[in-house]
This record gives sequence, C-alpha cells and structure tokens, in this order.
Amino acid sequence: MAKVVIKDSPYNLKKAKILDIKPLTEKEKLFKLVFEDKTWLDFEPGQFIMVSLMGIGEIPVSVCSSPLNRHYFEICVRAVGKVTNSLHKLNVGDIIGVRGPYGNGFPIKIIEGHDLLIIAGGLGLAPLRSLILYAIDNRRDFGEIHILFGCKTPGELLFEEEIEEWSKRLDIHFACTVDRADPDWKGNVGLITSLIPGVDLDPANTYAAVVGPPVMYKFVIKELLAKGLPVDQILLSFERHMKCGMGKCGRCQIQNLYCCKDGPVFTFKEIMDMAEAL
Amino acid sequence: MKTEHYRILEKSKITDFLDKLNTISKIAAPVYKGFNNYAFQTIKSAEEVSLKYIPTVIPPKKYFLPTKDSLLEFTVGNELKVEPTVEYENLILFGVHTCDIAGIRCLNMVLSDKPKDTAYLIRKKHITIIGLECNDYCDEFASCAFVGAHLPTTGYDLMFTELEDYFIVHIHSTKGSDIIEKTGLFKPAQTIHMEELKVLREKKSAIFNNEIPTERRYLPDLFDRSFNASIWKELEQKCLSCGNCTAVCPTCYCFDIKENVDLSLQAGERYRVWFSCQLDPFAKVAGGIDFRRERSARQRHRFYRKFRYHIDRYGMVFCTGCGRCSRTCMAGIKLKEVLTSLIRESEAKIWRKWL
Amino acid sequence: MSKPKVAFFDFACCEGCQLQVANIGEPLLDVLDIVQVVEFREVMSEKWNGDFDVAFVEGSITDEHAVERIKKIRERSKILVALGSCATIGGVNGMKNSFDLEEVGKYVYGESYKFFPTLHTKAVHQVVPVDYFINGCPIYQPEFLTVLKCILQGIPYYVPEYPVCVECKLNENVCMYDRGVTCMGPVTKAGCNSWCINNGNICYGCRGLTINPNTEGFKEVLKNYKIPEDFLIRKIEMYNKCKEFDKS
Ligand SMILES: Cc1cc2nc3c(=O)[nH]c(=O)nc-3n(C[C@H](O)[C@H](O)[C@H](O)COP(=O)(O)OP(=O)(O)OC[C@H]3O[C@@H](n4cnc5c(N)ncnc54)[C@H](O)[C@@H]3O)c2cc1C
Ligand code: SF4
Ligand code: SF4
Ligand code: SF4
Ligand code: SF4
Ligand code: SF4
Ligand code: FES
Repeated sequence: MAKVVIKDSPYNLKKAKILDIKPLTEKEKLFKLVFEDKTWLDFEPGQFIMVSLMGIGEIPVSVCSSPLNRHYFEICVRAVGKVTNSLHKLNVGDIIGVRGPYGNGFPIKIIEGHDLLIIAGGLGLAPLRSLILYAIDNRRDFGEIHILFGCKTPGELLFEEEIEEWSKRLDIHFACTVDRADPDWKGNVGLITSLIPGVDLDPANTYAAVVGPPVMYKFVIKELLAKGLPVDQILLSFERHMKCGMGKCGRCQIQNLYCCKDGPVFTFKEIMDMAEAL
Repeated sequence: MKTEHYRILEKSKITDFLDKLNTISKIAAPVYKGFNNYAFQTIKSAEEVSLKYIPTVIPPKKYFLPTKDSLLEFTVGNELKVEPTVEYENLILFGVHTCDIAGIRCLNMVLSDKPKDTAYLIRKKHITIIGLECNDYCDEFASCAFVGAHLPTTGYDLMFTELEDYFIVHIHSTKGSDIIEKTGLFKPAQTIHMEELKVLREKKSAIFNNEIPTERRYLPDLFDRSFNASIWKELEQKCLSCGNCTAVCPTCYCFDIKENVDLSLQAGERYRVWFSCQLDPFAKVAGGIDFRRERSARQRHRFYRKFRYHIDRYGMVFCTGCGRCSRTCMAGIKLKEVLTSLIRESEAKIWRKWL
Repeated sequence: MSKPKVAFFDFACCEGCQLQVANIGEPLLDVLDIVQVVEFREVMSEKWNGDFDVAFVEGSITDEHAVERIKKIRERSKILVALGSCATIGGVNGMKNSFDLEEVGKYVYGESYKFFPTLHTKAVHQVVPVDYFINGCPIYQPEFLTVLKCILQGIPYYVPEYPVCVECKLNENVCMYDRGVTCMGPVTKAGCNSWCINNGNICYGCRGLTINPNTEGFKEVLKNYKIPEDFLIRKIEMYNKCKEFDKS
C-alpha cells in the first residue's frame, strides 16, 4: 500500500484561532474565530461550517456573524454532547479545524427589495443573526424588517445586548417572547406563534425566514399561511445529522434532497409534500 | 462489435493466465468461503479462484471505498498538524460480474460529483477491472436483467465471456490491452468466434427475462405512487434493522466519520466507516429526534434510494440486481417480492380509478 | 499533571474482565505510562484508602453488603466505569431473577440460606450512577482502550446503537444463518467487532440487547429457521434479565 498526502482532499481543514469566547447563557457560548493564514471565510447567511476538534470529532455549525465582516467570523455553540462540550472547554488562543462553508444559505439576492420577517426559536437565532446583521448592514436594500424571537425561559435569551439594540432601532420591528417567565420578566409570555398574528405585514411582498427546533416549524408555517404568505416565500432552515457536508455520506437526506447540499435552507414550497421533511 | 477488439483464451490456459497476471500485479478474485458464500480476496495462486460463483458477501466496492478509510492524520500537542491522506495500491480485480461493474459505476457517479472525493478517485485510477460475463442467472435472487446489468456495457478494462472451450475477451482500454500483451497467451478473435458470441447473447436474452413485472422506465411513476404502500408496514414487522442489506449492496455508499487517537492522545486519524440508513443513530440529531424512526420508513428509504431518488439526481437506477440484499436478509425480505407487491398494489389502485 | 489514579473492584462475577485488562498485552505498558493503578486485586495486593479518578467496577450487585460497598466506591471516585456484562447489564448473574429468591437461596446455601440474605441481581447503574459502560463477557480489549482514551480526553463514550451484524458484515464473515446455525448478532449491541463470529463461533448475545430490538421479528426468523422460540428467550434471559429494573 502506498500512502500519499492529498492536500486537495475535501476533508482537509483550515486552522482557525479562537480570538474571543463569550458565554451567552448557561449552555451557549459565542466563539470569535479567524483563519491562521489570514484568509477570510466567504459565506452567505444561513451557510454552515464543519468544526473539528482533532481526536474528538467534527460537527456542523452555522456561521452567525455578518458575511461582510472580513476580520473574523463567529459561531454560537450550545453544549449538548461530545464535541460541543469539548469546545466549551477551550480557551482564547486555541486552534480548531474548520472546513466549509457548506450549504446554500438564504437567497439574499432574492429577498432584497422585499420585506423580511425573521422568526427564530432558541438557537435558531444563530444562523438568522447572520442574516439580520447582513440586512442591517444593507438596510436600505430591504423593506420592512420584523424580528420575532422566542425561547423557553428568559435565561435562554441569546445575544441579549444585540437584542436590546435591535429593539430600540426605528427601522426594525422587534418582538420577543418566552414560554415560561420568571419574576423579573416584563415581556411577552407564550409560544412564538402567538406573536405572528400581531405582525403588520404585506404578505405578497414579504419573505419569512424561519429557524428553530423541529417542533416549531409546523405551527409557525400554519400561522404564516393564515397571514397569506405565499408558499415559496417561506424560507426554512433544517437541522439534520451531517457528517460530510457535501452530499456524500447520506446522513442528512430528506427523501431526495441532501440537506447539507440542497439546503439547509428550503422554501416551504419545495418540501411541503415531503413526509420526512417536517 | 469490432473483431479486432476481441481476443481468445483457451480455457485450459486460464490458470496460466492468472498465475502470470499475479506476477504483474496483486490480484483480487472470487474465492469460495463455504456454505455457498464467496468473497473477493487477494490470491496467491490461480487454484484459489472460483470462476463460477454467486455474488460475493460484500461487493468489490470494498477496494474502492474501503470499509474503513482514513481521511486525515493529525498530531496535536505544541502545534496542530493535519494531513489528508489516501492509501492505494495497484490492483487487478479479476472475475467481476457485470452487476458489480454497474455498482462501481454508481459509486463513480456519487463520488466524482462535486466536490470530488479525491481519495476515491486516486484509488480507482490504480485498479484494473477484468470482468466475467454470466451466461445464466447466479440464483433466484438476481434481478440484473431488470436494470440491464446482465450484459457488459462499460466500466471494465477487459471482459471475459465463456464460450464452448475458450473465453472471448473484449478489450475496452489500453490498461486491458497491456495485460493481453504482457501475458502473451491470447490469440486474435475470428469471425467464427464473433458469431458464437452473438449466439450466446441471443440465448441470454431468452434466459434473462425481466424478473420483475414492470419496466425500468415505469419506476419513477411506480414509486411516486407508492410512498404510502402497505408493504412498508409489513416490513416494519419483519425487518430487524441489522443493516446487512445495505452493507452488502454495491451501490450503498453512506458512511460515518470517526476518530481514533493513540494512547498518548497526541496523534491519531479521522476515518470513515460504512454506515447504514437502517440503523438507529443514522439520522438522529441532538435531542434524540429521529426523522426516520420507524423501521418502515427506513426500509422505504432504502428502496427509494435504489429506485427513485437517484434517478432524479444522477439519472441512474441505483440497483444492479445483484440480489445480495435478498440473499443476506435473515428476515426473508426479498427485493423482487417487494417490487412486485408495489406493482400489484399500484395496479389495483389504477384499476379502481377506472371502475 | 499527575497521572489519574485508577482502581479496579469486583463484585459478583468471575473476574474474567479484569483478567482481560491484565492480559491486554503490549498496550498495557503505554497504559501504565499514563495512569497510576492504585488498586487491582488481579495483579497487586496493595489497597488504597484515598480517592480515585477512575474506578472500574466488575460484577453485579447481589446483596445488601454489595450495595453499601458500591455506594462507598462511588463516593470515592470521580468517574465510575462498569466493566463487563455483569456490571453493565447484570449479565449471567441476572438469571437468578428468573427464580424465586428463596429457591435460589436454598439451592445455593442449603437450609442455612436465611443467613445469607440475597437481593435481586442488579447492574451497577441500577444502584449508583455510572459514567462509562464497557460491555461484554468478557470485555473486548480494544474497546476497553477506546473507553480509557475517552475518559482521559474527558469525552463520553457511546456504546454503538446498532447490532453486531453491522461489524460482522464489514468483516465479511459467512453468516451463521447460512451455516444453518442461529446467532444473536441481529439483536445484540455491537462494539466487539463481531469477535466471536470472526473466530467461528456464534454471537451468544453477551453485550446485551441492542436499543430498540425487533424481538417479535427475531422470533419469526427463528421460526423460519426452525429454531425453538424458547431458545431465544433463554438466550436473551441469559444476559438481559436485569433489564426489567431499567424501566422502574
Ligand atoms: C446545518 C446545521 C447547523 C447547526 N448549527 C448549529 C449552531 O449554530 N450551533 C450549535 O450549537 N449547534 C448547531 N447545530 C447542531 C450541532 O451540529 C449538534 O448539536 C452537534 O453536532 C452535536 O455534536 P456533539 O458531538 O456535541 O454531540 P454528540 O455527543 O455527538 O451527540 C449529541 C446529540 O447530537 C446529535 N448529533 C451528533 N452529531 C450530529 C451531527 N453531525 N449533526 C446533527 N446532530 C448530531 C446526536 O445524534 C446526539 O443526539 C447545527 C446542525 C446542523 C445540521
Ligand atoms: S437485512 Fe433484512 S432484517 Fe436486516 S436491515 Fe435489511 S431488510 Fe432489515
Ligand atoms: S438493492 Fe439489493 S439487488 Fe439491488 S444492488 Fe443493492 S444489494 Fe443488489
Ligand atoms: S445478478 Fe446477474 S450479473 Fe450479477 S452475478 Fe447474478 S446473474 Fe450475474
Ligand atoms: S453471523 Fe450473526 S452477527 Fe454475523 S451477520 Fe450473521 S446473524 Fe449477524
Ligand atoms: S460476538 Fe456476541 S457474544 Fe461475542 S463478544 Fe460480541 S456480543 Fe459478545
Ligand atoms: S452531510 Fe453527508 S450527505 Fe449531507
């Protein structure tokens, strides 16, 4: 057997250095990363990268910073298992492996010129933050911007400072809700679906971008359809088990679609007849 | 069929040929393992080879996409060092049936799709394929004629077809003609040989009947109607989710990626290993949500992967009719029966519409 | 960094799994480079009174005395590992649970059985929390090393959630069902690299039932192969009897 190094292997990694780590909640941390070779990550909002800890594993994670930021990129990671917990134990200055970006991302060129309704459940805000930051950076190219964010408890609120800032902006309509309040909570209580009827929108001219836990989609879509949104203007980003990120390992397949390659963002129209999608 | 692309090897010389071939390069060929099982193995001498064999336990895809395949080697410690690697060797596969050649064509499709799987492509370049045509069905599980994989078309360097007392050999590449030259045992084919080959192929078209009561071109329609067919529920009861049917399938390519570190925890490798949509952890995501939890949904996925989804994506049916999945299933789930049941149910539905 | 302190303990078992560790061969030296073994009856006589980083526990919990002892061990160790079938699933000791306890006592101890109170056999995790599971009767040495590395890396080890057949096929064995023999592979947790089948034996299910096994389907298979159904029940009971305690 001969063995050779294949630098052009699609599994090759780029080294990224952790510039900063910011705990957001008990379970989520925000990592600021930069490639060691000083190149920048050229990605679209909604795309993801494969993050590696050598000897431990590799996982798909959405990029959550603005694609226009050339100095660094960010990921927000919830500690749920092997790789994510190990990531949480790392320090500033540590090196991790990255490949990507993968997936299609949100079709921003199509969304531009329209109103944008962002619906984020819990950690779903991570990929949507990238889209929000992009829209803020290019504010004049979008119509009305509505952001709805829901999470289980006030303790699970992500990006609190930014949320604070978004809620103060005149050019953004922001609303937030928690499933269960605590005594200090002054805001809305209830499922995220309860916020949708109150949004004042022009359905024909609106694109909705929805990301959240799997149980959320069906209910949100129902509300959006009730609002009169066309099926091809409802954009959903799905989570599936992913190993390769490039349509080879078969793990992420939703019927005939590869979530990693054809998605993770799909229009409701593409998947509405697929039993395995929702 | 150009006569000059064909050569003749007397049957008595096949051992000489294999032994000579073995001096040129490593050879893997079908070897008998007992209990009507065969396996592709590297051979030391021609005697080990079974020229008559039914499809091997696992298909020759194991040489293209090894069961366990290193993707990266790394060292951590002071500085992180990562190197993608591929291991390969010059290998001649002898005696590959046309169904398995079709299987390798399917793998080519997936792994050369962008982004290209470099390791696979390198390995493939170093493998020579010598095919062996079947003149009759290997056994009752085969359905190669249904997908047209019972005849040699492309995907080989040399193709051996057995006739009365000789093999007629089709040369399909210079890799193939090099072998012919280096072994020096072949004679040019003559018109009479070509005639005999033609007669065999005609005979074959009578023997290899369409094993499944429909045609390949109706598959998309059939499967578009069958997502909720009752057979899937039946499979729910029977299937043990052992993953054998996918492990042995020449067109299955799904894998898991794992890590292996040495005891110092300073160095190791990342590798892929064959995996299966029939298994519990395949599609599970954090929180334990599984998008194909029921065995019925997993079995349906397997059949749709073979007969529907990849027709859209790659323009090919991803079943070669090799029959391995039916042979290996201890629960007795048989591909031909499942397809037949789908056809019957779908016909019944159409009839009901007309009545 | 000082080497993690490791100890081995045994309860009701044959100590075969500890023997597997002691006989692990060449890698043992590398292991001893990175951990400090402070108690291991199989190879040394010393006892250790302090705390442990990792305690490997072999054997199942069968009496009040054992319950107290395992609780103490748990208190003293940062990480507790169940080693072998007896510890992970109750193993062969669980067969006791198929009988009336008094009967068992009488059978084992004769008329003096009342002086030896016995409990239903339990796997270790049914008594105290367990951090890592190494299945098998005996354990499969490479898996022991894998788990040890996970412990040192501070990451969980997931026992494969698929059956032995998966590994068996990758090893291209001739299936036992083709040889006309039954095999527990389709319903048994993988992780042993189909060790037994590679060596010409059937899988007798020592690692316990896989998650979500289709036992009804498996019974059908046995019927079709003309194997009496109680054969399966006995095989499953042989190792899995303690499973019923997991539900409560
Ligand atoms: C497109 C995409 C974007 C994602 N973006 C983010 C993000 O921005 N932030 C974030 O915290 N998480 C994100 N995730 C989820 C994240 O990938 C999983 O939480 C992570 O893989 C769990 O790895 P682990 O090693 O920590 O867990 P493990 O210890 O391996 O397992 C814990 C659980 O996670 C599941 N799981 C394991 N591997 C994967 C995998 N490759 N894909 C999906 N589930 C898996 C397991 O089935 C298990 O239930 C995203 C997932 C996808 C598919
Ligand atoms: S081989 Fe049979 S029992 Fe096993 S997963 Fe396939 S269909 Fe199910
Ligand atoms: S599905 Fe079955 S018959 Fe078809 S290629 Fe795979 S193993 Fe062979
Ligand atoms: S399935 Fe067809 S081509 Fe394959 S071995 Fe059997 S008869 Fe030959
Ligand atoms: S020998 Fe046993 S473990 Fe191997 S495939 Fe057959 S049933 Fe499964
Ligand atoms: S093959 Fe079966 S009996 Fe043998 S070690 Fe594995 S699980 Fe145990
Ligand atoms: S992650 Fe491998 S195919 Fe999608």
